[in-house]
Amino acid sequence: MITQDIRMSPQRSLLRRWFEPKSIKQMAPATAVIVYGLLMLWAVFVLFPLYWLLITSFKLPADVNAGPVYLPWIDFTPSLHAWRELFVFDYEDTLRAYINSIIIALLATALCVTIGSMAAYALARIQYKPKFATIVLFVLCLVAMAVVVGRWGVDWRLSLAVALAVFFVLARAVGRHFKATLGNGDILFWMISQRILPPIVAVIPIYMMFQSVRLLDTHIAQILAYSVVNLPIVVWLMYDFFVTIPTDLDESAQLDGATRFATFVEIILPLAKPGLAATTLLVLILCWNEYLLSLFLSTSNAQTMPILVAAMNAGERGILWWSMAVVIIVMIIPVVLMALVLQRFISKGILLGAVKG
Amino acid sequence: MNVEARGIDTGHRAQRLSLRSLNKSFGVVHVVKDLSIDVAPGEFLVLLGPSGCGKTTGLRIIAGLETADSGQVVLGDNDVTNILPKYRDVAMVFQSYALYPHKTAAENIDFPLKVRGVSKQERELAVRDAAAQVHMEDLLDRYPRQLSGGQRQRVALARAIVRRPSVFLMDEPLSNLDAKLRGFMRAELKRMQHQLGVTTVYVTHDQVEAMTLAHRVAIMDRGVLQQIGPPREVYDRPANLFVAGFMGSPPMNFLRGRIEDNRFESHGVSLPVAADKGTMAKDVVMGFRAEDANIVKPGAGLFDATVYAAEPTGDVTLVTLAVGEESLSIKMPRDYDIDFDKAVAVHFPLDRGFLFDAHSGVRLAARLVSVS
Repeated sequence: MITQDIRMSPQRSLLRRWFEPKSIKQMAPATAVIVYGLLMLWAVFVLFPLYWLLITSFKLPADVNAGPVYLPWIDFTPSLHAWRELFVFDYEDTLRAYINSIIIALLATALCVTIGSMAAYALARIQYKPKFATIVLFVLCLVAMAVVVGRWGVDWRLSLAVALAVFFVLARAVGRHFKATLGNGDILFWMISQRILPPIVAVIPIYMMFQSVRLLDTHIAQILAYSVVNLPIVVWLMYDFFVTIPTDLDESAQLDGATRFATFVEIILPLAKPGLAATTLLVLILCWNEYLLSLFLSTSNAQTMPILVAAMNAGERGILWWSMAVVIIVMIIPVVLMALVLQRFISKGILLGAVKG
Repeated sequence: MNVEARGIDTGHRAQRLSLRSLNKSFGVVHVVKDLSIDVAPGEFLVLLGPSGCGKTTGLRIIAGLETADSGQVVLGDNDVTNILPKYRDVAMVFQSYALYPHKTAAENIDFPLKVRGVSKQERELAVRDAAAQVHMEDLLDRYPRQLSGGQRQRVALARAIVRRPSVFLMDEPLSNLDAKLRGFMRAELKRMQHQLGVTTVYVTHDQVEAMTLAHRVAIMDRGVLQQIGPPREVYDRPANLFVAGFMGSPPMNFLRGRIEDNRFESHGVSLPVAADKGTMAKDVVMGFRAEDANIVKPGAGLFDATVYAAEPTGDVTLVTLAVGEESLSIKMPRDYDIDFDKAVAVHFPLDRGFLFDAHSGVRLAARLVSVS
């Protein structure tokens, strides 16, 4: 039994006027002050570096070295010196890196999103049950092969053939005895775990791989490497979008006579457009900004923009802040344009009308 | 409109569909047990049962969306048990309609023809024809989200009929519609199936839909086929307690009791029974339908009862009576009025009463008789 009077009084004291909203769809004045204050602070953090880049690109080396100056035409006289240097005198190097970046980022993204979304669709719709014991056996066979090749110098083709033969002979028996299986969740986690690994760990082996097939300093090497590195992200994100699409649609398409691939291209992919656009944008930015792999896989011909930026840091003339600013600005522009194009697709409500009555 | 005038081939493609001893388990749950049904060419068969009874799984096995653990699906002369859905020549209407949301109504209807590589002119004609069948000619440019529930339903139907399949499968197609539209679409569906003459298997948990639509009803419970027959037969001669209780709204009234000395005894109810030796001293359930019974003055009926509640529904007044611990529903005329807690008696023609074995649920040969 509640003895205390717990009815609430609607009277609005000064304190309440400040800390309580007028209606449940509004913010209280005090909350609004805090929220907008934080937002403004955040905006300064984001926008000031951009502003600094912009004015630095129009400064003469003397202005940069003279200490911080902020306002063009008041603190310093803007000049096109840095722009002229990169786009008139050094335009070949700048343009090459720019075109390299565009080719590599676009093709790597396209490859990565194509393969990744197909893999994600398969994982979202088909139940895989790989036997744990079979996987262990496969790894053991590979290890044995590596030992044999490394220790006794047996021809690798021969030992690979033997290892595979042993695997196929034993696979059935092992599979019969050990019933434990993995599922789609395990496969997904294994994929994303590849991304948890710091890339610096894998970069030397990757370098040696491309060296042995003589693909160093080529576009194809970076396109392949970037796609593989970003594949887990695409699979992981697209999987999430595909599982939200009702399987009724797949089944209906199958009954209508569509193949699995036609179902994917005609029905599922258009419905995952928002997710596809967001994923594409993310991968594009990751590829565009990729530094480590490019550093190892390219020397001059296939150098990308991030390498060019870094190079400004290590010239014999000291750090060329003004040139760096110019390169970074032109580097930002295509990504901003892509974001503007793709955000059109990142809208919700496409599935409306699919299954609701 | 005349069917032939519309250029519709009336059922010469209708095929016989046979399910032979189908079994299906999901893990430890045996959802379909030894299901065997023969569907005649052009027949409208309704699979009826509560949710989880295996009716939808049965339908999905016919469609090829699930694989049976054992048994066969035979369509016409072909064993289709192990072939892909797209080669089965069946069309399915899903409970959710499963319209492709990014395609217009016309593109939705067109899709089965498009993926089968039919020429463009033929497709246009066929889409128009199918749309006319479901009265959707004017809305072909709309997207599913711009259509009402009933219109989406029609698009789904048109998509199913556009390629003239030999079997229609329908998985609770009306359950997402409001009551009024459902009644209307039910009639439309029945008319359409009659005109096209296509073998149809229709899954529902709604016994009214089953009664109204079916040529034959197959009632399932816990994966087992309970009874199959024309709606009237299933309603008038239920094979067991489950069927009797599932068909009819309100369901059949039941009184638990025993047969002793050629009499059915229960909570002060005592009725003469014509029974052979096998049914002596047995726990039984006596059942009769709400519309077969009448409320009469105390002492003037077969047994006494008290009024628990009376609900006028418009067309009838539904009276709930208490007999011992059991409750019974009686349908009385629309203008019938009675007070709560009043003592009354129940009367019904004795040949409209059934006796079921209380343990197995099977209907007994024993009958109620008027003279002891």
